[in-house]
Amino acid sequence: MSIKVNKLEHIYSKGTPFEYKALQGIDLEIREGKVTAIIGETGSGKSTLVQHLNGLLIPTAGELEICGFKILPLLKNKDIKKLRKEVGLVFQFPEYQLFEETIERDIAFGPKNFGATEEEAKELVKKVLPLVGLDESYLERSPFELSGGQKRRIAIAGILVLDPKVLVLDEPAAGLDPKGASDMMDLFIRLNKEGKTIILVSHDMEHVMKYCDDVVVLDDGKVKHASDVKTFFEHPEWMVQIGINPPAIIRLKMMLQEKGWNIPADCLDEDTLLEVIRKQVKNHE
Amino acid sequence: MNNVALGRYLPLDSTIHKMDPRAKIAMMFMIIVAVFIPAGFYGYAVIGLTILLCLYLSKLKVGYALRSMKPMIIMMVFLLIVNVLVLKTGYPLLTIGKFSIYSDAIFQTLYIVIRLMLMIICTTILTATTKPLDLTLGIEKILKPFEKIGIPGHIIAMMISIALRFIPTLIEETQRIMNAQASRGVDLENGKLKEKIMAVLSLIVPLFISSFERADQLANAMEARGYNPSHPRTRYKVLKMTTIDYLGMVVSAVCLIVCIVIGVVL
Ligand SMILES: Nc1ncnc2c1ncn2[C@@H]1O[C@H](COP(=O)(O)OP(=O)(O)OP(=O)(O)O)[C@@H](O)[C@H]1O
Ligand SMILES: [Mg+2]
Repeated sequence: MSIKVNKLEHIYSKGTPFEYKALQGIDLEIREGKVTAIIGETGSGKSTLVQHLNGLLIPTAGELEICGFKILPLLKNKDIKKLRKEVGLVFQFPEYQLFEETIERDIAFGPKNFGATEEEAKELVKKVLPLVGLDESYLERSPFELSGGQKRRIAIAGILVLDPKVLVLDEPAAGLDPKGASDMMDLFIRLNKEGKTIILVSHDMEHVMKYCDDVVVLDDGKVKHASDVKTFFEHPEWMVQIGINPPAIIRLKMMLQEKGWNIPADCLDEDTLLEVIRKQVKNHE
Repeated sequence: MNNVALGRYLPLDSTIHKMDPRAKIAMMFMIIVAVFIPAGFYGYAVIGLTILLCLYLSKLKVGYALRSMKPMIIMMVFLLIVNVLVLKTGYPLLTIGKFSIYSDAIFQTLYIVIRLMLMIICTTILTATTKPLDLTLGIEKILKPFEKIGIPGHIIAMMISIALRFIPTLIEETQRIMNAQASRGVDLENGKLKEKIMAVLSLIVPLFISSFERADQLANAMEARGYNPSHPRTRYKVLKMTTIDYLGMVVSAVCLIVCIVIGVVL
């Protein structure tokens, strides 16, 4: 079942002088089993939107439907904990949520909160560690003696271990080196192949182009565009409008077009672009 | 969490906002001393009126000032319960079976609650009408004369300004970590005692760690920019007292004196 967001509004600090309308009427449908990217300028409301997906924030108006749960304004839902098991949310800079003495115990924290016994939790931890590219020698180490990128992996493992149906990631690759970032993306794609719906907040257009199926563009708390990746990258002007730097290949295409080359809009990868250029050079000769 | 009003500056344009921070600090000091004088409910009425006047002049909404009291409600209720159970003086107000509630229990609680309320509103007015930087500048200037006897006014002021500066950051951080742990199934409201202790621990440990990290970074950043507390510094902004500042201090002084008189007479 897809995720449906209907006229969702969120106002922070409602009724105080600091009142701020971060989301102003979001209408959206996120397809099940796909990788959806949420992009937008800083402050456009991406993090606010994704925090609604597992009920951390409750809409001030509108509603959303996810995994059979309906989230409405003013709702005090006792089932919200169940929702959080279905929808795993990895925060921006999740490494700041580590607190246990050993990595094993930190990752096991989530399952235990959801009722797993000590042994069950330990088993789950052993299974999830290799997913994030770490081996069992890490189990007994302290999470605080790791590097930033390793801490990030542990924190993501702490959510993956819950085996959520929908995985929401708020800039999971921010601050990682290129290799670490693409490893991370590969992991999410693998999880997607296993059937998980992935929702990804990202600033990196190369990643969006390479890994995602759908794109949602937020601007000032509203959905500016929502489409599949192909349609999105066929309209580079959308990216320019909202001040996003398009991927290198699109930039190259735009430069060529500016110089008078005739490049079709749906030419989005190196090979097709090369082919088009080759043809035109030949014709020219 | 984000509705915590305590310690936030509210950029309005009012008489109180324009006052010299030194005058405002002095006023707050006098009023808080007055609150501690045992002048009974008459005294509190005088102080209350003075504070209301300030509140009116500061253009702050009464509701806003009252909201800053929200975090205290639990404490007040707790206080009431303890007092009702422990204090057995005065006359019985209400008797249920063998158990009776005595008048002093109620009065004592009311006393403390009013004191706390007056103090909180008073500090809220100060912090809501004064930019943190002005506030520290004021403190620094007030402490200046004491530097001769070894009180490092500048360092104290810097410490206070850093602490004030990081209150909102810390609140934000707490909120964020709470959300992150809630995503891992932490439930701060329900659950057994052991689970609750774990939940609090999962909040406090990351908070401490990030605070220490932040402090470390801040210290490095300050040192890298050549900060040395013992060097003389010049100021971009120079404070100047005006008539309204003196007037404000006179009003608070009168309030203090009236309270002392009532206290002595009673
Ligand atoms: N707890 C809060 N209280 C008040 N305002 C908030 C709060 N959190 C976010 N905002 C405001 O809401 C707006 C949207 O914030 P949000 O964090 O969703 O942006 P974002 O798109 O995730 O940005 P970034 O790319 O920087 O992470 C911002 O203008 C921000 O100032
Ligand atoms: Mg964000």
